[in-house]
Amino acid sequence: MELWVGAFNLGLLYAFMAMGVFITFRVHDFPDITVDSSFVTGAAVTAVLIVAGINPLVALGLSFLAGACAGAITAFIHTRFNINGLLSGIIVMTGLYSVNLHIMGKSNIPLLDRPGIVSFAGKLNPGMAPEVWLGIVFLLVVALFWLLVSLFFMTDFGITMRATGNNPTMAGSTGVNVNAVKMMGIALANGFVAVSGSLVAQYQGFTDIGMGIGSIVFGLAAVIIGESIVRTRSVYGKVAGVIAGSIMFRLMVALALYAGLNPIDLKLITAVFVLVILVAPKLITGEGIGRVPLKKRIRRLIPARKFSIGLIALFCVAVIGSSMYVLVSRGLTPGKKKVTIGVVQLSDTGLLNITRDSFLDEMKRLGYEEGKTAIFYVENAHGDMATVNSIIDKFLVKKADIVVPISTGCAQAAINKIKDRPVVFATVANPFIIGAGKSDTDHMANVTGVYGAAPVDTLMELVTGIFPGPIKIGCMWDPSQQNAVYNADRLRSVISKNRNVAFVGATVTGSSEVYQAAVSLVGKGIDAIVLPPDNIVFSAFESIVKAAAARRIPIFISDVERLQDGALGACGYDYASSGMQAAKIVDRIIKGEKPAAIPFEQYKKLTIGINSKVAKDLGIEIPREVLARTTVTVGDDRIGLPGSAAKKTDSRPRRLALFVFSDSYVLKLVADGVMDELKKSGTLVRYNIRVDLKNAQNDYATAQAIIQDIVRQKYDYLITASTLALQVAANGNKQIPHIFGAVTDPYRMGVARSPADHIPNLTGVATFQPVESTIKAMRAIFPGARRIGIVWNPAEANSEACTEKARAAATQNGFQLVERTVNSTDEVRDAVAALLAKDIDLFFTSGDNTVILAFATIAALLKERKVPYFTNDPTDIQRGAFFSIGADYIEVGVETARMAEKVIAGESPKDIPIKDYAPEKIGVNQDLARLYGVKIPEHLLKKAAVKK
Amino acid sequence: MISSPALDKPGSRAMIELEEVHKRFNAGTINEIYALRGVNLVIGEGQFVTVIGTNGSGKSTFLNMAAGTILPDTGTVRIAGEDMTRKKDYERARSMARVFQNPFMGTAPDMTIAENLLLAYLRGERRYPRFGLNAKRLEFFKERVKELEMQLEDRLDALIGTLSGGQRQALSLLMAVIKEPKVLLLDEHTAALDPKSAAQVIKLTKTFVERGKLTTLMVTHSMQQALELGDRTIMMHQGQIIDDIPKAEKERLTVDDLLDKFADLRKTEKLTDEIIEQLRREYV
Repeated sequence: MELWVGAFNLGLLYAFMAMGVFITFRVHDFPDITVDSSFVTGAAVTAVLIVAGINPLVALGLSFLAGACAGAITAFIHTRFNINGLLSGIIVMTGLYSVNLHIMGKSNIPLLDRPGIVSFAGKLNPGMAPEVWLGIVFLLVVALFWLLVSLFFMTDFGITMRATGNNPTMAGSTGVNVNAVKMMGIALANGFVAVSGSLVAQYQGFTDIGMGIGSIVFGLAAVIIGESIVRTRSVYGKVAGVIAGSIMFRLMVALALYAGLNPIDLKLITAVFVLVILVAPKLITGEGIGRVPLKKRIRRLIPARKFSIGLIALFCVAVIGSSMYVLVSRGLTPGKKKVTIGVVQLSDTGLLNITRDSFLDEMKRLGYEEGKTAIFYVENAHGDMATVNSIIDKFLVKKADIVVPISTGCAQAAINKIKDRPVVFATVANPFIIGAGKSDTDHMANVTGVYGAAPVDTLMELVTGIFPGPIKIGCMWDPSQQNAVYNADRLRSVISKNRNVAFVGATVTGSSEVYQAAVSLVGKGIDAIVLPPDNIVFSAFESIVKAAAARRIPIFISDVERLQDGALGACGYDYASSGMQAAKIVDRIIKGEKPAAIPFEQYKKLTIGINSKVAKDLGIEIPREVLARTTVTVGDDRIGLPGSAAKKTDSRPRRLALFVFSDSYVLKLVADGVMDELKKSGTLVRYNIRVDLKNAQNDYATAQAIIQDIVRQKYDYLITASTLALQVAANGNKQIPHIFGAVTDPYRMGVARSPADHIPNLTGVATFQPVESTIKAMRAIFPGARRIGIVWNPAEANSEACTEKARAAATQNGFQLVERTVNSTDEVRDAVAALLAKDIDLFFTSGDNTVILAFATIAALLKERKVPYFTNDPTDIQRGAFFSIGADYIEVGVETARMAEKVIAGESPKDIPIKDYAPEKIGVNQDLARLYGVKIPEHLLKKAAVKK
Repeated sequence: MISSPALDKPGSRAMIELEEVHKRFNAGTINEIYALRGVNLVIGEGQFVTVIGTNGSGKSTFLNMAAGTILPDTGTVRIAGEDMTRKKDYERARSMARVFQNPFMGTAPDMTIAENLLLAYLRGERRYPRFGLNAKRLEFFKERVKELEMQLEDRLDALIGTLSGGQRQALSLLMAVIKEPKVLLLDEHTAALDPKSAAQVIKLTKTFVERGKLTTLMVTHSMQQALELGDRTIMMHQGQIIDDIPKAEKERLTVDDLLDKFADLRKTEKLTDEIIEQLRREYV
């Protein structure tokens, strides 16, 4: 779902750009390639202004103006100097790249958690899935845009602009300054493109200097697809067609991804598709479609038009066909009658997750396999009751045969809504207060399930066992939830029987109020917090721990899973048995039994647990008789809970996505390291984990789509390699535990402020190039050297960071760093030659991908002048570097995998600090040392792993 | 060279004036064409002048020079007394309108009749982003289109590209006169039409020119048209005006007389037999 909605939303945001391309290409007959850069200009201006604290709407307006200026310059060059339009576009596009870099000041600006139009819209969400809500907002905005643009095209000026493009001679003869109108048109078009860039940057959460590449081709594809699906001569229709074309294009990309087509081929397919559509009419008529009289043109275009429509149809059929093929081969197509089961849980709390997982596992054990014999819709309302209702609606739309609500809240919504098919609830405290029945056997005809009131009496026995004296306990609950009220009442009645215990209550109306309530309870001088089941309160358990920690107050809770999160004691039912029992009931119903005839079942298996680490931290001695009763102890060792023990023997494979941004050598090493470690440690086998490798092929839109796909498929874990992969994933995924590696500086990317203070669902390994050690080694080898030459590309964020480090390290070690910057690989040779003319003693390349591509050229130039070449990659030694200290990227991968293993074993990424890890590996070229007559100090030579 | 005669109507002022106008294309190359060789001409306000000439005689260059799509190398062009020598076509369009030979040139094919008329209607006005086709304008356009007698008045929202050449040329003509310009330039505007459409367009031309008392310069291929229409006929050859026939003389002349005039040129070695033959084929 996220995939399709995400693609739809991207299509809407890119519609502004498609509109710009429509104006240049269709109105002015001028395929303006400036858009590739003005798209980034819009994103850059917005990013810089938002970071500077300017209102995002103002930023959007200024982005429009910046884009319009770029377009005006292109049009000026084109009309004033009579230079071919395409050429003018290329000139401005190229120049604008540098301007964009200047605007941004660096190659990548993260906007994560910055105020923006998109995040503002997100905050107004009345409770829909965030992507769906954004889709509605975007749709409204684009609809307004559609109306305004259509109306504009029908004003005096708009009609003049269209006529200018359609027949410039005639426009000129009626007194239109054709060049001026063209200039305004191209400016307007690029303004729209910049707006698109601005919105996309805010949506994806960052601006990157490379994000505009290929925009023109996408825009053309959108315009052409739009013309073929909306075929009308009305202005409204044409403008709508452009928007529809943009959405269609994005959906096609999503479909191709969904079907598993290789993203490598996407660009090629798009390019060929656009090319054929553009060229086909010319091939048929044998000439350009520019200045041919229209009557002939129409006549000629008729076969061509049919031809292009045919091609579009062929393209669609090919994409849809191959998608269907893949789907069929996966066995997802409807075949014989499968039973459809909708599972909904209220929130992401542990006991509900256990219930769900054990239910699904048991169903599988009973022979109901996803896709083959059954279809499962497994949904999570994330604590929102409105969502529960829409999820149940979805089940009805999808014609679910049986609905399984997990938790009291879901059960209540389900039995209210569903009267015509079986409902089997699980993990419900008291089905009678929600009106599901009067007794275990006398209940609603279509409803049955598994329930059990939480053992609050046993929980209180645990509390009084540890605190035998008079104590004051605090409790909080959400009064809007029947079961929470019920449980709180039961706790109160248990307490009222014990004169030593005083009760302080607090109510909340949502998980966001939990922290406040906990603080107020703590402020009232309580000795312990006791929490009976309440899904809303439980979902904000971390904030209670935080509030309680301030006064070192212990927490008791009726969910054993929460022991690990900081509770002292817990007592609850084994919710896995709840899911299993529910599955057995579902099986009986599928086999023909009537729900009315199946009595409600209670679960009985009790678990009592203590977190000994928390006990130690709080200085609380646990009495031996209490310990004797516990079935679980957490804290000393890894001996797990029944829940996690069950997970270890999980039959459902868990899925891990290993996401790399491109095919580069370094990222391959990292991916290899990750896989080696995961295999060697036995993690994959022990936890039954399947790894899927995802590669974005160096393309931002593809990366975006891949992340949306990973989120949609609900992967259990995500490992990313490379800075850009981290950035895209951090923005697109807020739930799946995410471990990153091969990232130079995560702090600069906005995902973390310090190693411990980072986005809760992610952590990882930061690897800085060992720039300082390299420069230290330079000093050790060449005590008399003075000047280090360095060539770097300011568009590369990593390279920028490395150069900054090199500047500092050079000064510290008494060197002077002589810099030259380049924008592309072909400029490297001249830059190196220029540095050699400046009498450099040494030459250094750190993590710069542009420069390293010219390695052979550099090495040859330097060897000729006997200037030693230092790099940060020991594999360079074989190719002619003199000395290298690099990070061992296989080791980086291994370290990343080790961190992932912690998460897989149950630790929360939130609690794992980001690790700075740069395993140093030294390479020495002794051939060159001899040639240059240099003695390498023994201590460095000894450590060298690579020698030549 | 034959000099321009005095203005026909005494007291009326000069509307179009060309003074020693020279124009070379591809100057300095082997493809050099000396298109206008010192043309002098004065056309008075309200005069209707027809222009004939051999192929490559410079009559089209001459018209484009007046329109501003081609600028002269040397010489002066004045319109209504104002020096327009270096003014571009769109700057002259306030006082001047033109109909092209090619019916496809004068209209925007992918736009509707109403939109095309609006474009012409805004001649010489600021083009603001205000709603263009209001009811009042549409009513006005409908009235004017009715005069064309081509049953187009109920098809104002039809795309021009779907119309016949005759219909398009009639609309071009209407677009040229809709704002009553001071000068109307007609560039062989019936040459590409079938005889019936051509007749209708000529009839409309007469009506519009007479009604608006427009100063008109009409280049034509048809000697018949040249003689029947207008107050004055100019003959061009090799970039020069070789004859300037006033209304009184025109009424006496026949097509054969005109051809004889070209034949006379042969005697002065200016015209080959071939060209005479070509003229006979084309004009008679």
